Amino acid sequence: MAGIAKEGFSGIVNLTPHKIAVCQLIQYFAPGVHSPLAIPFKSISQHNRLGLFLLSLTRACDDYVEPSLDQLITQFKAAGVGGFEYDWFVDWLSEDLTSRLSSLSSPDDLYNFFEKLRGILSPADVASMEDEQCFLDPSSHLGVFIRCCILAFSILTFEGVCHLLSNMTIYCNATDSAYGPPEDVLNDDHVLQESFSYSEHNRVLRFDESETRPRATKSSFHIPGEQQMRGIANELLVDFDVKFKLGDLGICNNNSIGKLSNDTGQDSDYQRGIFLRSKWQIQGYLNEQANLLERGAGSLPFNSFETSLRNLQKMAPDLHHVKYLRYLNNLYNDDYISAMENLHRYYDYSAGMEGIFTGSSEPPLPGIHVGRYESALLCLGIMHTRFGHSKQALEGLSEAVRISQQNNDDSCLSYTLSAICDLLSKIGISSNSGIIGSRYSLGLGTPLSTKQQLLVLLKRSLKRAENLKLTSLLAFSRLAHAAFHLKHVERPVLSSGPKALTKLRTEPKLVCKELRLTSYLLSEFASDALSPPNEGGAFSTAWLKNLEKSITSPASLDGNKTNDYNAFHFSSQPNPIPVSVLQLAGASYLLRATSWELYGSATLVRANTLVYLSCFADSASSSELSMAYCKLIQHQALFNGYKEALNALKLAEAKFSSLPKSPILVQKLQLIHERALHRGELKIARQVCDELGILASSTSGVDLDLKVVASIRLARTLLAAKQFNQAATVAGSLFSQCYKFNLHIESASVLLLLAEIHKKSGNAVLGLSHALASLSFCRTFNLDLLEASAILTIAELWLSLGCSHAKRASSLLHHSLPMIFGHGGLELRARANITLVKCHLCDPSFVVADDPDIVLDPLRQAAKDLETLEFHEMAAEAFYLTALIYNAMGQMEGREEASSSFKKHMIAFENAGSEEKLWNEL
Amino acid sequence: MGSKETYRAELRSSIRQLRDRCLYSAARWAGELLVGIEQDNPPSSVSASRGTPSSSARPPHQQDYLHRDGSSFRRSRSRPCPGSEGLSVTPAGGVSYITQDEIDDGDYYLLAKSYFDCKEYRRAAHVLRTQTSKKSIFLRCYALYLAGEKRKEEETIELEGPLGRSEVCNGELAHLERELCALRRSSAADPFTLYLYGIVLRDKGCTSLACTVLAESVNAYPWNWSAWSELQALCTTVDILTGLNLKNHWMKDFFLAGAYQELKMYNEALQKYEHLLGLFQFSDYIQAQIATAKYSLRDYDEAEIIFEELLRVDPYRIDSMDIYSNLLYAKESFSSLSSLAHRVFLTDKYRPESCCIIANYYSLKGLHEKSVIYFRRALKLNKKYLSAWTLMGHEYVEMKNTPAAIDAYRRAVDINPRDYRAWYGLGQTYEMMNMPFYALYYFRKSAFLQPSDARLWIAMGQCYESVPLQMLEEAIKCYARAAKCNDREGIALHQLAKLHSVLGRSEQAAYYYKKDLERMEEEDRQGPNMIEALLFLARHCKTEKKIEEAEMYCTRLLDYTGPEKETAKSILRGLRMPQSGFPSVEFDHLGSS
Repeated sequence: MAGIAKEGFSGIVNLTPHKIAVCQLIQYFAPGVHSPLAIPFKSISQHNRLGLFLLSLTRACDDYVEPSLDQLITQFKAAGVGGFEYDWFVDWLSEDLTSRLSSLSSPDDLYNFFEKLRGILSPADVASMEDEQCFLDPSSHLGVFIRCCILAFSILTFEGVCHLLSNMTIYCNATDSAYGPPEDVLNDDHVLQESFSYSEHNRVLRFDESETRPRATKSSFHIPGEQQMRGIANELLVDFDVKFKLGDLGICNNNSIGKLSNDTGQDSDYQRGIFLRSKWQIQGYLNEQANLLERGAGSLPFNSFETSLRNLQKMAPDLHHVKYLRYLNNLYNDDYISAMENLHRYYDYSAGMEGIFTGSSEPPLPGIHVGRYESALLCLGIMHTRFGHSKQALEGLSEAVRISQQNNDDSCLSYTLSAICDLLSKIGISSNSGIIGSRYSLGLGTPLSTKQQLLVLLKRSLKRAENLKLTSLLAFSRLAHAAFHLKHVERPVLSSGPKALTKLRTEPKLVCKELRLTSYLLSEFASDALSPPNEGGAFSTAWLKNLEKSITSPASLDGNKTNDYNAFHFSSQPNPIPVSVLQLAGASYLLRATSWELYGSATLVRANTLVYLSCFADSASSSELSMAYCKLIQHQALFNGYKEALNALKLAEAKFSSLPKSPILVQKLQLIHERALHRGELKIARQVCDELGILASSTSGVDLDLKVVASIRLARTLLAAKQFNQAATVAGSLFSQCYKFNLHIESASVLLLLAEIHKKSGNAVLGLSHALASLSFCRTFNLDLLEASAILTIAELWLSLGCSHAKRASSLLHHSLPMIFGHGGLELRARANITLVKCHLCDPSFVVADDPDIVLDPLRQAAKDLETLEFHEMAAEAFYLTALIYNAMGQMEGREEASSSFKKHMIAFENAGSEEKLWNEL
Repeated sequence: MGSKETYRAELRSSIRQLRDRCLYSAARWAGELLVGIEQDNPPSSVSASRGTPSSSARPPHQQDYLHRDGSSFRRSRSRPCPGSEGLSVTPAGGVSYITQDEIDDGDYYLLAKSYFDCKEYRRAAHVLRTQTSKKSIFLRCYALYLAGEKRKEEETIELEGPLGRSEVCNGELAHLERELCALRRSSAADPFTLYLYGIVLRDKGCTSLACTVLAESVNAYPWNWSAWSELQALCTTVDILTGLNLKNHWMKDFFLAGAYQELKMYNEALQKYEHLLGLFQFSDYIQAQIATAKYSLRDYDEAEIIFEELLRVDPYRIDSMDIYSNLLYAKESFSSLSSLAHRVFLTDKYRPESCCIIANYYSLKGLHEKSVIYFRRALKLNKKYLSAWTLMGHEYVEMKNTPAAIDAYRRAVDINPRDYRAWYGLGQTYEMMNMPFYALYYFRKSAFLQPSDARLWIAMGQCYESVPLQMLEEAIKCYARAAKCNDREGIALHQLAKLHSVLGRSEQAAYYYKKDLERMEEEDRQGPNMIEALLFLARHCKTEKKIEEAEMYCTRLLDYTGPEKETAKSILRGLRMPQSGFPSVEFDHLGSS
């Protein structure tokens, strides 16, 4: 009961022809006492199915305009199809419906219609109900609907009745001839009589006819009409992306076409025959669209959605939510100016009172109309964050903090704090740049570093979310917290002494605990105000969409569907858990994968990513989804070579082609770069570096990840080109950037890169110090795999200092071998194998002839891995060592084989510069 | 002065033609213009037509005007008639139309016109359904259009649903458009039909085509002021205006002047009007427009004189009187405003302008609730009454009802996105709510639309300067802009000086303090700003070792009472000491602290 009250038809039902048609259908469902004809339902399930259909009709929010009579009948028939195989009954009902509706031709007819409608509601004393009669419970969903309609009619003025009548004419006539003169429709009595006689006739003949009637007639009656309309629409709309709308969205029917063709077709007729649904349904529709927009950035055709929103705004100027949707649409299509305009317009009109934050705790005080403009500021801040205007975002958000404190809006305050956390963690703010220096210290007293501020804020917002029972915010805060601990060492905010007794919270255990807590959300959401009020609406929408699928695809029409629930496909089964909750829960898995990436467990990365993709793909936003794909592609590249990875990449590219600046593109460039480096195609590598550099925004502090990646790649390219000085300069400046923006994890890999550069340039001692520094970073943050590779580098450096250090190198190497062989990629493993062999060879006590497999096995393995990677330079080294060993053993055959392989790889490596094949290929 | 006679002939025949086609407001306008032409040798017919009480009041008015603005009057009179070269371009349409019209006035037409006059539009259209003359076709279409408009108005009220009033559109538009488009294609459309077609197109939202069609209409028949004013409303930017293909005619000058006024190019508009005044010397319309422009240029006194004169000549006038009331409001003349309100109330209380005037009066009296009631009434009468929305926003601000104020301003902005006052009001309201960062957007908008208004730049500067934002560099830029725009209150210079001194740029600060000082001297103002400037300059000059200057400022400071006097004394002492060879001791610090 509470649910119905929440959905609230009351007072906001606008009587439209469609609603009258639904009322008529409800009369079939529950004919009431005085009904002249009892509807001969074949079975209980058939009857129930009609009820389910009606329920869905009154609650669905798949569009903002009501369906035409034609569509209603098509849907109605589809609802009946599975149950009773095209028998006369559905046909008869729909024809009866049409004739009854078109017979409502005078105000008095309408009056009588509603008078009769009263009869189907059960009388107050339910006890006296007879078995035969089917009454509608007045407090049931449909009962409330009927009562609201009756109420709406009884308060309708005569003018209103006249409008309703003329609308009825339009509604009934839309099927036959769109431009027909209205006079023709007003044939009344004989139509009614005909229909009755027809029904009687049918009842007599039903047995003959139900067998003989060809099946195809029904589908051919309606579907061609639809197709014709589509044809017309396609002609009309050259510039609109109708195909997309028809095909992909699933909201494919005459509605959208009708709307669009009305936009272009000289908008004068835009109201003719188009009626708005009830407010609640429209809001449901808008919420759903907002969800889609927020998840799949840019997946909706911008223009057509914008025009339909504009139309809706024209038809319902007081529904300010539409403006918000326009803002979202502009925002996610990167139209800064319009987004700004619509944001301000929305809040100017709504004063922030149309709750976007449904979980908001405080009801507005009655009588005092103050407005909640702090949410406007919050939105403004979020918008600037998205556009990368960090300074403006911060100003907006801090103003939001101030105003929500001023207005005691706790929930907005906690959302704002989270938004600031998000901003601070997204953009790099160097601790001494002073964007939020002493002036903006959030009342913390002493000025803090950005990192410390972030931590304090995170803790605060976590606590606030907990207190205010904002479950999804709580989950978000936990995720942010975990992400923070993953990348930062936590020290007490106001440390009293020098680094004394600070327990590092970067332990994977703690991070994982935090991440697990996020998933509790799934069980908590039900008890919280989190679930949106139109849960049932979403279910009904999905139900109707499934119906439409069965209408539009002829295969399902032919298919023998006997079960009601066959219409539900598993994939489109409506999920009872709201999308936003699922998204957060999914994000925890994605973050888990990321954390394992850092900690260095390849299998867990893969497992978590796969869990994410298989369980949360439906609710994920496209950027997150593409990130998950990237992880898998990277995994492929590391463990199975480039061929596999590029194949996977192609699949992913096809899926996410629409996204600008997507992670997929970055991944692709990285993949090409890596491959070019391995093959020795330095020109290509250089080009890719430049492209990566262009992708990042030029503003300082924005797109930091991308900038770091680009610089690392540049340094590596220079290293490969043996321009050691320049490589060292690039890496050095990158390190100082990382230091400035507190990017510790990146610092570790940059230090390792520096060590590598020094190693290659022959300055092993300098390299050692860098490698050791990197090692300490790795240990602090538990970056096990990176640590292993740092140890490997150290071993290599020792080795390069001379054979006397071989033993030390070997012991170091053995220490890290389990990690490398367990989780390392092909390249790392090959490097480890080769170094291992080198250690053995340097060892004076080692005699090859004793046990050649000790060195030959690793070399074979390394050569195999490197060939997969097409890493010519190192492969050549491996074969060179093999040849040396065979030579020492005196096996000429093996030696020749190895040396020819060596030659092959050397030639390939030297020729690589001229090979531009790959570049053209991609 | 033969050309004047030509004007008269043109106007007279056009009035007849317009009235014949039931284009009454255009006919009224032409009529007003006709009597506005100076009578050098009054023929009997003209004097008869000017038998209104106003005619007797003319001669003194003329003298008044001469007295007030004699130079421009004499100048324009001595000039050869400017419309003459334009006249040769336009066909002498006036006469030919008359002859054509007289012929095809059939009986049905007469009946239809009578129906039309009784506001039975559908009946009128029905009577003419078989008539094929151009005039009948026009009247039929026009009647249909008006019938549709009437129905639209009714439906707007009838269809108010829970989601607000949906924009009802005229049901006849589609049908009319088809017919009129066919007529235009077959070049069977006369200028009046084209005018109607233009309106229909505008209602359908095809503004560019509407512009073209209306331009065609006025090129073929320039005396239809309604067509001109529709065209003027469509010229929302200067580019559209210059892009129009218009033939030269004296009516074009009226159009251009009006368009300039709308585009806030007041000086250009004034020029045009003063030029036209040479021809139509007694035209109330031109006088009212001039007064409006002068009001917009904040030349209140002159505007008031003209308005007073207008009211004296035409005591039942309501047009443009809302501007007059705004003027009286700005000048805070309670009694004049109240008598104006009384007068328009007696004339016609159900005009939006009348309601607005009454609301202005209440607002001036500080009775904001009552004022809002009358603004609401004005808006009920005309939902698109721009200034009423804005003014109502001001009232709500006074009543501290910020959401309502924001709503009102926003509606004004949505009606006309170029209304910088409403944008400014929005910004102010948000600033009042302690949201300077949010308010900046609105101030930026308003300053973009009206870059020459110093107040807007100052408001923006104040936002940047406010405690939570503290973006002083940006604030300085804004104030500098304001200082360039003839800032009357002199806030900008003072703030610039202050901000520069806060940022430690004493050289610039001194420059602006000096300028501010000069300005205050010019306008003979006193006050704390003066003291502050003097004090700063005295200290600055002292540190710069400009002893004489510093002494001068200090002596000026001595004229004031209060702590500054003591500070000045101590500075003076500090100045004299090094001169007299004593070791320099910074006494002034002690004094000033």
